[in-house]
Amino acid sequence: MSGEEYESDMDYTDSDCGDPGYDDYYNNQQWGSEADNDIDSEQNKKDPEYAIHECLKVEEVERLLNENVEELSNRLQITPSLAKVLLHAHEWALQDIILKYRNDASGLLVTSKIKSSHEPDSSIALRGARTGTCLVCVNTLSLERFAALTCGHTFCKDCWCMHFEVQIIQGISTGIGCMAQDCEVLVPEDFVLSLLTKLTMRERYQQFVFRDYVKSHPQLRFCPGPNCQIVVRSKELRAKKVICSSCKTPFCFRCGMDYHAPTDCGTIKKWLTKCADDSETANYICAHTKDCPKCHICIEKNGGCNHMQCYNCKHDFCWMCLGDWKAHGSEYYECSRYKENPNISRESVHAQAREALKKYLHYYERWENHSKSLKLEEQTLETIKSRIHKKVMHASGTWIDWQHLFEAASLLARCRYTLQYTYPYAYFMEAGPRKVLFEYQQAQLEAEIENLSWKIERAETTDRGDLENQKDIAEKRRVTLLKDFLEV
Amino acid sequence: MANIAAQRIKREFKEVIKSEEVAKCAIKVELVNDSFTELKGEIAGPPDTPYEGGNFVLEIKVPETYPFNPPKVRFITKIWHPNISSVTGAICLDILKDQWAAAMTLRTVLLSLQALLSAAEPDDPQDAVVAKQYKEQPEMFRQTAKHWTSVYAGGPAKMSDLDDKIRRLTDMGIEEHNARVALSSYNWDLERATEQLFMTVMAKN
Ligand SMILES: [Zn+2]
Ligand SMILES: [Zn+2]
Ligand SMILES: [Zn+2]
Ligand SMILES: [Zn+2]
Ligand SMILES: [Zn+2]
Repeated sequence: MSGEEYESDMDYTDSDCGDPGYDDYYNNQQWGSEADNDIDSEQNKKDPEYAIHECLKVEEVERLLNENVEELSNRLQITPSLAKVLLHAHEWALQDIILKYRNDASGLLVTSKIKSSHEPDSSIALRGARTGTCLVCVNTLSLERFAALTCGHTFCKDCWCMHFEVQIIQGISTGIGCMAQDCEVLVPEDFVLSLLTKLTMRERYQQFVFRDYVKSHPQLRFCPGPNCQIVVRSKELRAKKVICSSCKTPFCFRCGMDYHAPTDCGTIKKWLTKCADDSETANYICAHTKDCPKCHICIEKNGGCNHMQCYNCKHDFCWMCLGDWKAHGSEYYECSRYKENPNISRESVHAQAREALKKYLHYYERWENHSKSLKLEEQTLETIKSRIHKKVMHASGTWIDWQHLFEAASLLARCRYTLQYTYPYAYFMEAGPRKVLFEYQQAQLEAEIENLSWKIERAETTDRGDLENQKDIAEKRRVTLLKDFLEV
Repeated sequence: MANIAAQRIKREFKEVIKSEEVAKCAIKVELVNDSFTELKGEIAGPPDTPYEGGNFVLEIKVPETYPFNPPKVRFITKIWHPNISSVTGAICLDILKDQWAAAMTLRTVLLSLQALLSAAEPDDPQDAVVAKQYKEQPEMFRQTAKHWTSVYAGGPAKMSDLDDKIRRLTDMGIEEHNARVALSSYNWDLERATEQLFMTVMAKN
């Protein structure tokens, strides 16, 4: 953590507790935000899931796009309006466009829907020398009230304007086409703006155009955070993690959804759809209470850690599989992986369906449980925070003395998050040696995370060195798993 | 905007009436109300298709934003065709969706629909059951489409073997159209159609 960040954190510091460490806790609430915000941070460079990125404001994006437009328009000696359409149609690949243009300018203009593949033809029915009939509104008007696109198709200005309005209301902007039948030509921005009169429509059109430009630019992504205007730019066009500097939302740079390593974009989509489809089936398993496997007393889970200790008989067991915890340290594998019936293909359709459901529920239960643990661990941290607050008030240590604890909690959240997303990955994985290796690493990560969680819940009595050690081990396991399995 | 819509429809109405297709009885259009917001279209089944000899009635609704948005068209006459729903008459045709252009007219629409009857596009289906039959059992499809044309669109064909199968089901108390749909959907396999019909009945009870 750099001294500069301390400075900026101070700006938000609650006046009740002037120590900067207190405020830093809030930053740590966000998954790894403390480290991830700092592009130069060593931590991030080593993290295989992190994409180097910058967060741009709308004006900055406009400047960036305009630079591209200007350059292309200068190099090819074409109008900026034309340059824009070309860039938009070719994912802003400037060099590519220049090459293609020098090769076959007219072909490029046709495929980019700027020019018609036919000879220009007029759609206007001339009435004498000065007037014509618009084929859309069937009004006969004087010729200066008409406007033509590059394809030659000519309609009255009022009709063009109404056409634009109808399209804009439907959310269409860069995709507005010519009004003639079988004409592919798209209407360029300056043509639309020269005829669109209503101010609100012009504004909406420009907003939509901007949205389309950003969406067509492979290096740019809108931040999915609620009401956030930030556009994230990264040159690594991969399914890696970026974090918005304004609203702190972490997301996958490729698909813009919740970040999901080691699972890839397509698989996580499939998984979430499946979960939504099967939500009723899965609901019944989401219990908050279970019976202690030894003394059978009812136990409620109110922390994130899955290493449970029965308050009655002190039996240590695993919340997920209810197995003895002592065996878990070395055999976590038996809990996290799903043991498929090797003879299932010979069973009846009914048995196969039951097996498929069992398999899905195994993964779903663990996925859901880690998601809940993440939330419970946030609450735990909240409690610890207030306890430490009291300690500091009573002059037993400063916030800086407890800083390591918040860092540990932030790291725990990051690790558990990855762990949660290993389950959809494993669910869709083909059986084989690679899956065996994956499940082995997953089990190791699982074990170290629960150890870390256990130690954080008991932080005030845990030796600091021990906690630091556990932190390192858990993070190493996470990074190893990602290095081996994150395919970006 | 509504002003332009009415103006355009009036003009187009005249255009269709004067067209050579009307002279050949291939297409027809009638006004349903005075405000030009709803029309009734009619197209003749094209020659050398299972629809030959049939007359297909269309519902045409003109939106306020016409001609900047396409008219809403569906078949009133029941028809067996991959791109037309056998239940609702909804049509899957690009020019009635995103390929519409403001310079297109009702005449273009009617002629395009007629062309669709001549050349179905089973890879962009509206009715998946029909599309599957069209691709996998083309002769079965032809027979079924011809049968529907004769029953619902006044086509000439009489197909007594198919009628017999329907009668077997109506004798069991099944409504005639439902019997036809079930048999058509199951390639006129009487046993499977019966099974499906009684399963739905049971599910409803
Ligand atoms: Zn006009
Ligand atoms: Zn054109
Ligand atoms: Zn944001
Ligand atoms: Zn993604
Ligand atoms: Zn377990």
